[in-house]
Amino acid sequence: MSATEHAVMGPGVSRSPLERLSRGDLALLLGAVVVFGVLVYGAVSTQGFLSYGNFKAILASMGIIGIVAVGMSCITISGNLVSVTLGTTVVVTTMLFLAALTFGPVAAIVLTILAGAAVCALQGFLIGGFRANPIIVTIAFGTLQLGLAQRLTNQSTVYPPHDASFRFLAGTVFGLPLSIFVLIAITLALEFWLRRSRLGRESYLVGENLRAARASALRVTPVAVAAFALAGACAAVAGVLLGASQGNATLLTSETYTFQAIAAVLVGGIAITGGKGAIYRTVLGALFIAVVSDMLLLRGYSTGVQVLVRGLVVLAAVVIVQLLAKERA
Amino acid sequence: MSAALKRLRSLSPEVLSPVLFLLAMIGFFLIVPTSQGHPIGSYSIYSVLQTFGTYGLVALALGLTMIAGEFDLSTLGMFALGGMLAVKLGESSAALGIVLVVAIGALAGLIQGALIAFLRLNSMAVTLGGYITMIGLTGTLGHDKSVSYLNVDTAIKLDEPIAEIFSRHSLIVLAAFVLVALLMGFTRLGRAVRAVGGDRKTSRTVGVRVNLVLIGVFTLSGMLAGLAGGLNAYSLATAVTNPGVAPLVFAATAALIGGVTVAGGQGTAAGIAAGALAMSLLQASFGILASPIWVTEIVTGLLLVVAVLLTAPLIRDRIANARQAYESLRARRTAGGID
Amino acid sequence: MSTATSPERLRFQGVCKSYGAVRALADFSLTLRPGEIHALCGHNGAGKSTVVKILAGLVRPDEGQIEIDGAEALARSPQQAQRLGVALVDQEISLIDVLSVADNLMLGSADQPFLNRRRAARSRARDLLRRVGLDSLDPARPVSSLAMGERQLVEIARALGHDAGILILDEPTATLSEAEIGHVFDAVRSVSADGTAVLFVSHRLGEVMELCHSVTVLRDGQLVRTAQTTELDRAELIQLMLGHEPERALRREPPAEEGRGSVTIRGLAIPPRVPGLDLDVRPGEIVALAGQVGCGATDVIRALAGHSSRASGEVRVDGRRLRLGSPGVARAAGLAFLSNDRKSEGLFLGRSVGDNLVATRLKEMSSGGLVLERRVEPVAGRLAASIGLEERRRSAVSELSGGNQQKVFLGRLLEQPGTRLLLLDEPTRGVDVGGRADIHDLVRSAADAGVGVLFASTELDEIFDLADTIVTMFSGRVVAVARRTETSTHRVVSEMTHAPNDREAVA
Repeated sequence: MSATEHAVMGPGVSRSPLERLSRGDLALLLGAVVVFGVLVYGAVSTQGFLSYGNFKAILASMGIIGIVAVGMSCITISGNLVSVTLGTTVVVTTMLFLAALTFGPVAAIVLTILAGAAVCALQGFLIGGFRANPIIVTIAFGTLQLGLAQRLTNQSTVYPPHDASFRFLAGTVFGLPLSIFVLIAITLALEFWLRRSRLGRESYLVGENLRAARASALRVTPVAVAAFALAGACAAVAGVLLGASQGNATLLTSETYTFQAIAAVLVGGIAITGGKGAIYRTVLGALFIAVVSDMLLLRGYSTGVQVLVRGLVVLAAVVIVQLLAKERA
Repeated sequence: MSAALKRLRSLSPEVLSPVLFLLAMIGFFLIVPTSQGHPIGSYSIYSVLQTFGTYGLVALALGLTMIAGEFDLSTLGMFALGGMLAVKLGESSAALGIVLVVAIGALAGLIQGALIAFLRLNSMAVTLGGYITMIGLTGTLGHDKSVSYLNVDTAIKLDEPIAEIFSRHSLIVLAAFVLVALLMGFTRLGRAVRAVGGDRKTSRTVGVRVNLVLIGVFTLSGMLAGLAGGLNAYSLATAVTNPGVAPLVFAATAALIGGVTVAGGQGTAAGIAAGALAMSLLQASFGILASPIWVTEIVTGLLLVVAVLLTAPLIRDRIANARQAYESLRARRTAGGID
Repeated sequence: MSTATSPERLRFQGVCKSYGAVRALADFSLTLRPGEIHALCGHNGAGKSTVVKILAGLVRPDEGQIEIDGAEALARSPQQAQRLGVALVDQEISLIDVLSVADNLMLGSADQPFLNRRRAARSRARDLLRRVGLDSLDPARPVSSLAMGERQLVEIARALGHDAGILILDEPTATLSEAEIGHVFDAVRSVSADGTAVLFVSHRLGEVMELCHSVTVLRDGQLVRTAQTTELDRAELIQLMLGHEPERALRREPPAEEGRGSVTIRGLAIPPRVPGLDLDVRPGEIVALAGQVGCGATDVIRALAGHSSRASGEVRVDGRRLRLGSPGVARAAGLAFLSNDRKSEGLFLGRSVGDNLVATRLKEMSSGGLVLERRVEPVAGRLAASIGLEERRRSAVSELSGGNQQKVFLGRLLEQPGTRLLLLDEPTRGVDVGGRADIHDLVRSAADAGVGVLFASTELDEIFDLADTIVTMFSGRVVAVARRTETSTHRVVSEMTHAPNDREAVA
């Protein structure tokens, strides 16, 4: 008896009409049909879309963003929302990499990745250790990184040393940019880490239910530190590749990387509340965004329109993911 | 003296924080530039208020959603979109432009608020999508370029000093603050917003119309951010396609040092005003000193780290526990003294 | 009641409510007259809270009629119930911590004005607070700064402010001190003198006898009897609540009496509720902390598990002193904790049964930071089998019934090397009858393997089914400690329902 009395705990929360109407499966099906239809129509009707050259262009455009995005996914899965300044880390590590090339390319790469991991690990420590809000902490550290970079560079463009040999990082393998192979390697490594390592598994648990994780004495702080450190390392790898392909670095446009990465995570269907999703889905999200942007580009739409469509896609993805989650619950 | 100290200690952090930060910044503003040979004049105060006028409403918009326990990232997007729309729609009449911008801001907020309330969506995710959409729309409208506002007279009029330290721009912003403060402080809406932010489940149980409150807050947030963007574009006579994250940094810092917590339920419009004023004083001081940007950025970043740590749950718990332990120790000592 | 002509304020006629196959309330009838203080008694699960929820508009009955002041009155929402003149003081305090007392008193009230006139609100707040004896409380203080008892009184003051025709008090005194209870009684008597009908739901029989005019006893969803309190004494009331005492088979041989406790607790103080507690748990012994909601049993369990930063006292596990206040330290010392809230503080609902079962023991299954599947598989399989969910190992926990979810939660604590004591807070809350028996079996077999068990429960059946030793608690203090074989349900109920010092109050 008491069982039932407890089972109907709480007040009868009124369900909104939208909640009752929308069958999650229907939404998914409808969404899939619409998306598929648009993609097929776009593919067929867009001049020059279905070509090997364009295929390579799409992959080239998603490589670096994809790397930042899979790093971002670690933060999201571990229940720490997102970093709203991971793009700043990308830009700042680009500068660091170009400047550090004086020590040779290998040392520069190692140094850059360590620095990116360290600056984000510190943020993870504040967030996991004191439950400080991730959004605010990352905003603060973004500002600090920018300030520091401006101090060190006097707000000028950073160029690598003349004799530096790093162009191999901007080269292609089998006709495809190196960044794509790096993205695949990182994705596999992170998938392995999340599924097989103890800390990775605990990330899912902590992300799913922080209170339960604390109550069962899971390692909440190390999980946050690890997630942010990995995100920082990914951002730094993106920074290295960006530096190599651009050959110089300025502090402009850092938020583009951040928000494109977050968009890929959300479009990939990873719940922002944490504990769910897989890294490869972020890659699919990034690919989807790259394909849509490419179509719009080929059809002559401006950057503004591309960003606008990306925003709408993110909104749609967020709504669909939530409807599906509700349906299962 | 000890009575004043006691009274100070009894103040809640939501009052204490803006007061202390504002006093500290006023002190900084009065002392540091002067000591470096840059005396403060009425123009300095004017420029403080101009900074306040530029970003203050973004802080208010973001702060209100934080009081309601949410986080509106799209304030940043609406700030940009508001500027672009004001320039495009206000070619003939600046006032009409502002009215339209506020209306569109309300609509954008309404849509996002409805999604968040009815679908129980995470506000970060929704407003992030909203932000990207708005930035995209801004770029689309401006064809990816900054657009100048040809009605230069408006710009001049808007920033013309009034009574030496004010301008129409800063007065409009102050009026908006007063309006929101009245709404939050003297109607039942303020209570409802704080209730929803403080404890959503209990609010529902005791009959607060949570969904309406959330939609209302996001609508108001959109209106304020749009207004801020429109006024800013008129002042500069330009609408830019992407303002960067500077307004968000300003807004978040102002809200947090203004006594708003990320957990929600705490903070007042007056507190946010004080926080925004403190930030404006800081920025103006660095402006007067002609410090390089990196100084402002590092100081703001550190300030934000301190503010967020002071409001972090685990640190708050520790402070509360230490306080309690201290109180009980003192009580025991007093009792022992009587024996 | 007093006169047959007095109109009825509230009338329940043949009300039924089922949750799935379980009948929570069958053919229930009740009448309340203006000015009447009527007690609703019965054990957990007897159907009391269903009655309360129906009245408060939180649950709709399947059948039956409800009339208020002679008119059909079925509330579909809390707001509607309020408009019908029903005010509820819930068991769980529903005040908003961050708001001031005055704001809380205004909140949710249907007649709050659009303009918030602070002075008017404060003077109204002072009036209401005076009625519950909180004359000196500043209405501007935030609720978060109040003590538990003060919060409960503010909650009651809010209900008084609704000027309701019917006031429901659901376990209003569980967290209050004697003096505070006196204030509540005064306030209840004064509103009833003004014509409000009061429904007083309580386990505290001494209070029922002292305050109420009449009493209705429920058992298993059925109305047992409605009577004047003058017609009954407490012993009869307990008899009505219990019914015929069922034969209780002794399910297991309790461990030998001798032997030192493996866990010894001396002077455990947990402000604000528990002043100091001594207790021993021997290896293999199952000890029940029996008491009503708010008696302090939950606080003791949570403090031992490291979830109370303000607990102090000496706790030793196998002679070694335990540092209180850290879940990690408690777990390392061999204390395994089952929270009473499996959804928010226990399970990872989106993960599979297998993942949940091994969630806290990944360390033993890892080598060099990697989880070894060959170590996980056998353990997850064995645990899933022992809780009878082998086939559902890969299902998400959110897809399971409440009972099965609870089994997963408990299963996670079982067979952990180094566990000395299971700390279970309401181990079968929200679990069906079948699930409950399975969970009890699991706990027994853990005890048979030599692990001590300390559990908090408000339910007699559970206490008598499971415990070797029963420790009854009331208002944060231990009332009695007895072997399960040497006490009776009657005695335990008596101990659970009134303070040790007023044992003779009602003969």
